[in-house]
Amino acid sequence: MLLEKVFSGGKAEQKVIENIKEHIRTLCSASDCFKKAIEGQDKELMFCVPDLEREGDAIRREIISTIYEGAFLPFLRPNICRFVEIVDEAFDVLEDAAHVFEYLGTTLDKEIEEESIKIADMNLKMCEMLLLAFETLFSKEDLREKNLAIRIYENKIDDIKFDLIEKLRKKEVNNFWEGKMLSDFISYLTHVSDVIEDASDYLYIMNVSLR
Amino acid sequence: MKIEEIMVKKLESVEANAPVYDAIEKMVDRRMRSILVRPKDEKDVYGIVTMRDIVFKVIGKNLDPNKIKVEEIASKPVISIDKDMDIDHVISLMNKFNIARVFVSEGREIIGVASLLDIMAASLIEKARGGHVA
Repeated sequence: MLLEKVFSGGKAEQKVIENIKEHIRTLCSASDCFKKAIEGQDKELMFCVPDLEREGDAIRREIISTIYEGAFLPFLRPNICRFVEIVDEAFDVLEDAAHVFEYLGTTLDKEIEEESIKIADMNLKMCEMLLLAFETLFSKEDLREKNLAIRIYENKIDDIKFDLIEKLRKKEVNNFWEGKMLSDFISYLTHVSDVIEDASDYLYIMNVSLR
Repeated sequence: MKIEEIMVKKLESVEANAPVYDAIEKMVDRRMRSILVRPKDEKDVYGIVTMRDIVFKVIGKNLDPNKIKVEEIASKPVISIDKDMDIDHVISLMNKFNIARVFVSEGREIIGVASLLDIMAASLIEKARGGHVA
């Protein structure tokens, strides 16, 4: 609510806010695409992740440019830019996971397939929650509860990660690269939620610091 | 919201005639507070062994967990609910029977487990999404 007052007015500010929403929506689309691609083990569908990452990059550049052209009060600018950069980092990690999925031959071992899809699904839900959290800044809703929901998802993913690592430790690998790619895939897949949690925490801190 | 949507599918089980030590090992390794006891035959039903059973019925009585069989301390039959049951109904059942977790079944098969923490987390997420709170 307070942010609404701080942000009030200018066209440039409105443009940035709309672009940030679009940025997060694009992240949701990329996460959805990623999930569907690993569900269907579909290489073609996975290409949409780097495409959406590039789209996200373009939106990020536009946001930063508008801010440097004078949108928002100077003390707010670094915080907004940092938030956007954290969201952009989530795109990068998701893209890395998508690339490694291709190296794995777009098939996942049966033992890790179910958990991987579950994590991809929770990553998507976290992105959607991040969008709701951002929109909360301009409404009377409670940001704290969105932030908590994101932390709950992150804890669940951490639990699954623990199980996945246990399974991977028991798995025989035929060569170095096979093992590395599998390990990297799980690392990237589970790191997306860490970054989204960071973004959510940053949003919360921004909100608190403006009170 | 149905219980199936929030249940955890990670289930561990032991044979009824296995030593309690096997159950302890699995529970420690998997960080679980209870473990399913598999039916001995087709006429038998699932049971459950909890940390409480192990601590109070074995360790607290200075018994050797290697010499006690799981079936000797297990509770049978395990209370389970249908996968399609609504969360608010599950909450009232758990409150009525004062239990912290319920097993979820599909027909005769146990397919998951839901704890109070799972229910609380699911309710908080649902509320944050702007939906109904159980």
